[in-house]
Amino acid sequence: MTTTFDSSPALRTGALRQSLLISALFVVGLLVINLLFFPVGTVAVVLLSGLYQGMLFFLVAAGMSIVFGLLDVLNLAQGSFFMLGAYAGFAIYGALPEGTPTTVRFVAALVGATLAGGLLGGVVEIALLRPLYVRPIFQIVLTLGLATAIEEIVREIYGPAGLIPIEPPAALDTTFGVFGAQFETYRLFIIVVGFLLMVSVSLLLQRTRLGIIIRAGVQDSEMVEALGINVRRVFTLVFVLGTAVAALGGMTAAPFLGAYPTMGTQFLLTAIIVIVIGGMSSYEGTAIASILVGLTRATAEQLSLQYFNTPILASVSALVFMVIVLLVRPTGLFGRE
Amino acid sequence: MPQQTNTTTRASLWPGLLTMILFVLVPYSYAAFTGTPQPETSGLARVHSAAESIYCVKGISPVTSILLIELAVLLIVVLWAWLKQGEPGGKTAVFHQHGWYLFTLALLIAIPFIIAWQTNSSPCTRGKAFFWQSIYIDVFILAILALSYNLMFGFTGVVSFGHAAFFGTGAYAVGLFMKHLEWPWWLAILASLLLGILIALIKGFVGLRIKGLYFALFTLAFAEVFFLLAGNRIMVNITGAEDGFTFTVPDWLNMTKNRLFFYYLTLTFLTLAFITIYRLMHSPTGSVLSALRDNEERAQMIGYNTFHFKLLAIVLAGIMATMAGILRGLALKGASPNVLGLDFTMNPLLMSIVGGVATFSGPVIGAFMLRLTEQLLRDSIITIGTLSLNIGDHWTLILGIIFILSVMAFPHGIVGTWLSKNLHTRNGWITLFQRPKTNKDTFVQSSHPPSSTKHKETS
Amino acid sequence: MGIVLQLENVHTFIGQYHILEGVSLEVPEKSITVLLGRNGAGKTTTLRSIMGLTPPREGRIVFRGQEIQGKRPFHIAQLGIGYVPDYRAIFRQLTVAENLRLAERKPGELARKLDLIFEIFPDLQRLYHWPGGQLSGGQQQMLAVARALVPDNSLLLIDEPSEGLAPVIVEQMMAAIRSLSDRTTVLLVEQNFYVASHLADQYVIIEDGRSVQNGRMSELVSNPELVNRYLGAA
Repeated sequence: MTTTFDSSPALRTGALRQSLLISALFVVGLLVINLLFFPVGTVAVVLLSGLYQGMLFFLVAAGMSIVFGLLDVLNLAQGSFFMLGAYAGFAIYGALPEGTPTTVRFVAALVGATLAGGLLGGVVEIALLRPLYVRPIFQIVLTLGLATAIEEIVREIYGPAGLIPIEPPAALDTTFGVFGAQFETYRLFIIVVGFLLMVSVSLLLQRTRLGIIIRAGVQDSEMVEALGINVRRVFTLVFVLGTAVAALGGMTAAPFLGAYPTMGTQFLLTAIIVIVIGGMSSYEGTAIASILVGLTRATAEQLSLQYFNTPILASVSALVFMVIVLLVRPTGLFGRE
Repeated sequence: MPQQTNTTTRASLWPGLLTMILFVLVPYSYAAFTGTPQPETSGLARVHSAAESIYCVKGISPVTSILLIELAVLLIVVLWAWLKQGEPGGKTAVFHQHGWYLFTLALLIAIPFIIAWQTNSSPCTRGKAFFWQSIYIDVFILAILALSYNLMFGFTGVVSFGHAAFFGTGAYAVGLFMKHLEWPWWLAILASLLLGILIALIKGFVGLRIKGLYFALFTLAFAEVFFLLAGNRIMVNITGAEDGFTFTVPDWLNMTKNRLFFYYLTLTFLTLAFITIYRLMHSPTGSVLSALRDNEERAQMIGYNTFHFKLLAIVLAGIMATMAGILRGLALKGASPNVLGLDFTMNPLLMSIVGGVATFSGPVIGAFMLRLTEQLLRDSIITIGTLSLNIGDHWTLILGIIFILSVMAFPHGIVGTWLSKNLHTRNGWITLFQRPKTNKDTFVQSSHPPSSTKHKETS
Repeated sequence: MGIVLQLENVHTFIGQYHILEGVSLEVPEKSITVLLGRNGAGKTTTLRSIMGLTPPREGRIVFRGQEIQGKRPFHIAQLGIGYVPDYRAIFRQLTVAENLRLAERKPGELARKLDLIFEIFPDLQRLYHWPGGQLSGGQQQMLAVARALVPDNSLLLIDEPSEGLAPVIVEQMMAAIRSLSDRTTVLLVEQNFYVASHLADQYVIIEDGRSVQNGRMSELVSNPELVNRYLGAA
């Protein structure tokens, strides 16, 4: 038997190439704006902090987007898992005895926060979301209520003020110079973690059987079930993975941002913007959109600090970005009709 | 349904008539009989001071008895109408169709006096009755907001997470116009309403292009922009940034001074909002809106321009929510960014769901339940072993839990569940009371159908 | 010849609509049984009820001696039923290879079956790395059937395999399904009477949600009056 295959036609269809082109142009545009207004050192810091913000948004949005694609549930409590991750990390960090090396405490906090986020996600999916798959709108409403409840519980236990950031391992607690400006190593660490997760989730989706099931389920989960796959279990697994990644993100951010009750809502709103721009259920879209939104925010923040002495434009710019994208492409940059 | 529209019209005359009698005719004739307390004043001011001398009496007063008698009469009439409903002639139609609504309205008109009577305080000066009036004013405002939310979410199926944009705009705009532009109250209110309509139109036209969940998220972001801008330091000279701002209102509109008046003002707007939605949903337009919710494509295929109907619903809901915001701004004589925050999107959503999505009285009942429960539990402390919890401090948490529980176990809300459970029983009672079977259908129709919410069977 | 599948007085509702009002049928082993009937008679719903996708509210469905009504679809599929829906349900974003891999129930199953699949549907071999969305209708239909062949299914439910296909492809499809019948049991829904009469060993006629007539296909072919009554002009 000859095993010659026809070469497959380009997977990148016209629409996708167009979306990528738009994104690339957008980045170039931002770069030009940056270079026009700021010295090179500032530009480098702006770009790096854009990437750093983008990665945090990605960690919240990735789970939301995949869960939405597969389950049609927009998990508005995803931000709360991000926040919970930070608090869980703090708790674990604090619970370990004083003498433990910082690195050990830090890694334990990262792992523990991820596990805690996943565990809670599993409970939420099984106990709260499962009975409601016949009423999709109510699921969204439910997650909104859940977000409120979680935020209040945290406020209850830890108080409204928030916690002082924990100390990262010494190696990460430094700064380094880029074109004469200083940048914190820890933020670089966040970028690396985000990038690693971006790649590994992508590999998971493209290379593993679970990935195949997820991509198939986005299109037609009924048929996946008819092929003999327990779709409900896959739903739970995906939900757990999503919340675990969000919690990991929260803990990763904690040494830099600290932990405070409203950080969930804050990141949720930007994550929503990201997945709307990315096209709701498209993973590539979410990944690229999170970087775009991060860069936009960082640029706007720098501009607004320089000219208005307040970071207000950062939040507004992301929202305006989203509104423009929606008006031009109602299903987002990478969304399909 | 021409007959139904007719009876609704007549029903809508009732609150106006009652208010007229109680607050214009009675005081005016009193003033005419006893000689005015302040002879130099005339017109409305005279009526007002006369009203004050009648109604602002401490404890039990003749007015209380009048109101209680009025309630009793209404109750008897409603009962009588209910028993006689089978008979032709239709004179009792108003009562047996809207009896409970009218009774509730009469009760709400009487409530300040009943509270004054029960707490032995005057309804017009500082005291318990005065305090409770402000709670009810808050309830009415929230109920208007919930009604407006339900019109979009429940009846038309437009999911929006940005209702706070309307509410906050109302509260902010009316204050800013009166404070910075020094516009008279009526112009400020009118301009704020126009602003609300403008926002509704923008949302409506955007909704033409952006569908479903994207639209919901768009509205969320829209409200958030307002929230961010209102609270930012950049705007400190205009909006007072995070602390908000205060402004002065004319004396007669001042809730601290003329609270009873403000009470009836908000009650009037609540009644208006209720009647508007009731009539709208019983008109052909209302049927199209429901059709839109159940299946937009089908409505389109039948030949309706669904965009116009959606726009209508959004604009109407926008006007109501903005009005609620204006009332809130006037009541507090100020506004702070929280009126634009997520709370005022969550609240109406929760109230609609607890009360019953896509029912008429559901949102109002939801508003009453949640706000009054909050008030009643504000200072209660639960002690479990060594742990003692102050309910008031944890109210948002409790709300969140109520929210989750009601979504899970109670998706049709109080009214929806009650209706579907009792339709059967009630029909049983009717057949017992009714001699001939003539008019049975009218009665069944008169109660709104069990809420058919977003409950989609997967096919 | 044993009975693989048996339906007894199955009633199915979709929402508030009573779609199946009593379907009873038997599918003998290693043969092709066809469900006939007019549009909207309930043929597709019968298949979906067997799969548990629209669970029946009343009645019994027995598959190889085991009652399966009320079980979840994935469970029913794992018992050895393959389903090929009328809309084919090819995953457009997945390649042919991934589409087939999705159907695996045990690791390595696909590798063992690949030769067989390529033998029945040679086209799929050269299209192996194409995304499903780029295939033609006929190729998608082949892939849909091939997908049901990956695990060791003892019953295949195939809905309208000839719908919308060119005559040449229909012949190819018929040959493929015929070649399956000595390996496994097939329950077919087919509107095209030519295809049905050439493929099937038995028939069941469904009308208004009820099974009204069944027997050997050869008897139906020789009874034009019956064909006319239930199926209109054949």
